[in-house]
Amino acid sequence: MKGPRIIYLIFFVVFVGILCQGLYDIHPFGEPREPAMDDYFIANAQSERAANNVVTSIVFDYRGFDTLGEAAVLFTAVMSVAALFRKEE
Amino acid sequence: MIMMDIAHIAILLAIMISAFFAIWFDNLLNSVISLCAMSLLISLEFYILQAPDVAIAEAAIGAGLTTAIYIMALRACQSSGWRRKGNDKDERS
Amino acid sequence: MKPLSIVVRTICNIFAWFVAIFGAYVIIHGHLSPGGGFQGGAIVATFIALLLVAHGGKRFFEWVKMDIFTAFEGLGLITFVGIGFLGLSTTFLYNFLALKGGLFGSPVTIGPNAGILNSSGTIALANMAVGLEVVGGLSTIIIFMFLGMRYVMEGGKEGSEDDK
Repeated sequence: MKGPRIIYLIFFVVFVGILCQGLYDIHPFGEPREPAMDDYFIANAQSERAANNVVTSIVFDYRGFDTLGEAAVLFTAVMSVAALFRKEE
Repeated sequence: MIMMDIAHIAILLAIMISAFFAIWFDNLLNSVISLCAMSLLISLEFYILQAPDVAIAEAAIGAGLTTAIYIMALRACQSSGWRRKGNDKDERS
Repeated sequence: MKPLSIVVRTICNIFAWFVAIFGAYVIIHGHLSPGGGFQGGAIVATFIALLLVAHGGKRFFEWVKMDIFTAFEGLGLITFVGIGFLGLSTTFLYNFLALKGGLFGSPVTIGPNAGILNSSGTIALANMAVGLEVVGGLSTIIIFMFLGMRYVMEGGKEGSEDDK
């Protein structure tokens, strides 16, 4: 750690202050501020999509396109690792 | 309910302690093991906050696969003479 | 890489198969219990890493070829995109199998219950496809890191004989 350490201390205090500001405004646990979409999913997901796990029915059906993007991101990561570590012929 | 709060705060303190020791150790293998313990405690915290999906993913990836990858990279670095040139002393000054 | 000691290998031979079966359970019961394709695939990739570390590279590559995992990855992604295109008569990724009877089509009772395996339409199929892709991808990363580590540890020689 070269350089004056007082700079690191100032950044640390400012960062902790911003985090505490965010923690002061947080809503209580289990009570979201706008629960319309949550209530719709909890009430209707089991009868519409016939899956008992509501989280999976959101991830793979209601928001299936995001999961496709996630799978493409994983595929790209594996391709880059293979391009880095392959043997040269 | 008060026992649940005590367990919750104890797990958060243990996460902070293990994250501190991950930076503090001189030996890098100890740091990797400390990161593994931190991931395990984070998965326990996710389970207490009622997110078992994220807890399973964190326990499998953070505590299993990442530790294996770090230890493989560490062995490759040690056997290639990275430690013998004295780089390890300049690392934290 | 020499294999580890006899104690580690014996414990691995007993314990690793439970890990694999638990991962397959998490993938297949993805629409009933917590978990899904990504989590179960990560657990099965942990099983691959356990075998690779305990038994060393030479014996591991006698058992499986590395092309199997890259084939798994491509096959899983293509299957997921294909399931998306099969529902294209309504929208992309439409759940065209649910509540129709037949394969994965039986209705469920509303409310908290244990559920039945033959339900939820394309969600179960997409779970299996994503699980196959994650198994292939994470195992490929682990195996490439292992081969790269051995390449460095043998002094940077080009292509030792027992690499694959």
